[in-house]
Amino acid sequence: MSETNAVEILLVEDNPNDVELALRALRKSNLTNRIHVARDGAEAIEFIFCEGPHATRKIENGPRVILLDLKLPKVDGLEVLKRIKSDPRTKTIPVVVLTSSKEQKDVVESYQLGTNSYIVKPVSFEQFVQAVQQLGLYWMLLNQPPKG
Amino acid sequence: MASQRTSIKQKLMAAIMGTSITVLVLTCAVFIIYEVVTFRRNIVRGLTTRAEIIAANSTAALAFENKEDATEVLSALRRDPRMVVACLYDKDGRLFAKYPPATMPETIPTFPEEQGYRFQRDYFVVFHPVIHEERRLGTLYLESDLSALSERYRLYAVLVLTVIATAILLSFALSAWLQRRIAGPISNLADTARGISEHKDYSLRAKKQSEDEIGQLTDSFNDMLGQIQLRDSSLRSNEARTRAILESALDCIITMDHEGKIVEFNPAAEKMFGYKRSEAVGAALADLVIPPSLREPHRAGLARFHATGQAPVLGKRLEMTGMRADGSEFPVELAITRIVQEGPPMFTGFIRDITQRKRAEQEIRQLNAELEQRVIERTAQLKAANKELEAFSYSVSHDLRAPLRAVDGFSQAVLEDFGPQLPEEGRRYLQTIRTGAQQMGELIDDLLAFSRLSRQPLNKQRVDVDELVRLAWEELKNGQPEGRRVEFRQDPLPPCEGDPSLLKQVWVNLLSNALKYTSKRNPATIEVGVVAAGTDGGGPSGPGPSARAAATYFVRDNGAGFDMQYAGKLFGVFQRLHRAEDYEGTGVGLAIVQRVVHRHGGRVWAEAAVDRGATFYFTLKERNKP
Repeated sequence: MSETNAVEILLVEDNPNDVELALRALRKSNLTNRIHVARDGAEAIEFIFCEGPHATRKIENGPRVILLDLKLPKVDGLEVLKRIKSDPRTKTIPVVVLTSSKEQKDVVESYQLGTNSYIVKPVSFEQFVQAVQQLGLYWMLLNQPPKG
Repeated sequence: MASQRTSIKQKLMAAIMGTSITVLVLTCAVFIIYEVVTFRRNIVRGLTTRAEIIAANSTAALAFENKEDATEVLSALRRDPRMVVACLYDKDGRLFAKYPPATMPETIPTFPEEQGYRFQRDYFVVFHPVIHEERRLGTLYLESDLSALSERYRLYAVLVLTVIATAILLSFALSAWLQRRIAGPISNLADTARGISEHKDYSLRAKKQSEDEIGQLTDSFNDMLGQIQLRDSSLRSNEARTRAILESALDCIITMDHEGKIVEFNPAAEKMFGYKRSEAVGAALADLVIPPSLREPHRAGLARFHATGQAPVLGKRLEMTGMRADGSEFPVELAITRIVQEGPPMFTGFIRDITQRKRAEQEIRQLNAELEQRVIERTAQLKAANKELEAFSYSVSHDLRAPLRAVDGFSQAVLEDFGPQLPEEGRRYLQTIRTGAQQMGELIDDLLAFSRLSRQPLNKQRVDVDELVRLAWEELKNGQPEGRRVEFRQDPLPPCEGDPSLLKQVWVNLLSNALKYTSKRNPATIEVGVVAAGTDGGGPSGPGPSARAAATYFVRDNGAGFDMQYAGKLFGVFQRLHRAEDYEGTGVGLAIVQRVVHRHGGRVWAEAAVDRGATFYFTLKERNKP
């Protein structure tokens, strides 16, 4: 994965199993191109805002969609979401909250912070694949992000 | 002044004796004067008459100048011893004859006077002309001794003195008698009155001695005494009662006059304040029992009362501070009453030591504060526990499912990627692993839903149960497999008070339960209704619902039912009365039903028999309406 290439999907997920299953699901939907994985909230922020190891990356080079888990080490998902949606450079990036939490509190707060979608990770892998496929198709193919 | 001090006895005696003596003296005087005048007139008349007779008898002697005859005539006067001197003068005024013949010529007037009489010192003298045929022949002179008159005077004096002496004696006796009859009762009355006023003995009575005005006076006096005695005794008993109250009252009673001086100080006050009654009475209230800081307001209040007649402290229950003899202060409760009487007003204070009460109040306050503190602490603990629980649920929700996803996901990956290389048995095992993982996912979801139920606040409102059940049934019916025959009957259901979304869950769970356990019936019958008031079966778990006028709803099916022996386990979490291969489920549905019903203050119970269907009843507590 080259830093210079525009990243199309940012997957923020701390659980390696979930990362692998998510990648498998994305691969099944032929959405494996240019996926970057961040393993905690801090890493996600560094990547999105081109800080630290990602300082050479250009902020306008994506990602085109962010798949965000809520329960993350260091900086939690809601905080990441808040940062993304409060920065004019990044707030147009679609964010899909992908979490195992069905808590009403999390759902409401996520939408209040400006998430574009909220998906509960099902235990069944088939359902998971279906969900990922649907959101991948939706955000990558149908939804045209605003220019600039 | 002296006469005012003399007794009635003396006055009466003086009046009687004075009057009788005055009358007597006056009467005697008049009588004597009258007697003297009459006597003298009689003397005059008698002597004049005698002079006329002698003059008439002497005419011849004078006419014939016969001295012997003349002397003879005159000597007839011998018979009268009072006749002292008599003589005849001739017409020329010369002495012609005299009586007694031996009379000294010096004792005879030299010349006769004209006709007349006069009283001399001891004598009465008469000159009478001797006339014959209107010719004056001479003059007769008579001199009578007045010693008879003197004798009379003496006699009168003796008489008058005797009478007066007798009268004095009599009037003294009379007045003494009268005095006994009149003054006696009066002085008796006076003595009684004095005795009463000296000894304050109102039981004494004056002795009645007659039926006259004094008798009436005595009666009235005794009546008055009777009334006074009555009042005195009622006054005494009143005073005794008051005294008894004062002496035995537990509250301290202090009376103060209009100047603020203590006039009454009962034993309770002595005990409470530490002053003797003798020390307190007469002292200024403010200096004795009121702490220095409150004395000024006390005086100001008293001054205001004098100025305006207003005393706002009267008739109220006040709390203030009292001061004991040793200077220590303590809280008191005080009520002040104004004593209405003639003259300046007095105030009575009823004072109670409320140290104990204050202490108790303080203790209660402290206890309350401690209790409040404890409640705050407990609430904080509960909040913390709740928060922990939430964190726990959150963590369960996230962390418990992640490994399950891995189990399921990678089992699937194995099946997909290496399925053809695995024996049939290995593929079946992997499938079983996946089923287990998915079931555990459902269990976690149900458990989380159940725990959310307790934390979620109740949103109570009027709920149209009829409509709610219809909607729930519609949803469930659509999820049933094609071709299944279910007869559903819904009686009209009364509305209730409750949280609509939670109640919907109750109905959905009960109805889906009914559907589940009738899955082997053809046709299945499910009935929803209310138990008529008063015919409520009560259920196995105790007497009928305690809720007032609350409807008892029921859901009845003709399904598998259960053994009533296990009814107690029916509503426990994860409790199942059927095998999973017969009827799938996590065992949370009825636990949720019970939790919701309990949160509404209601009750849920069931009646069933194996293979003969089950009936689930529940009630919600009506909101208490005034």
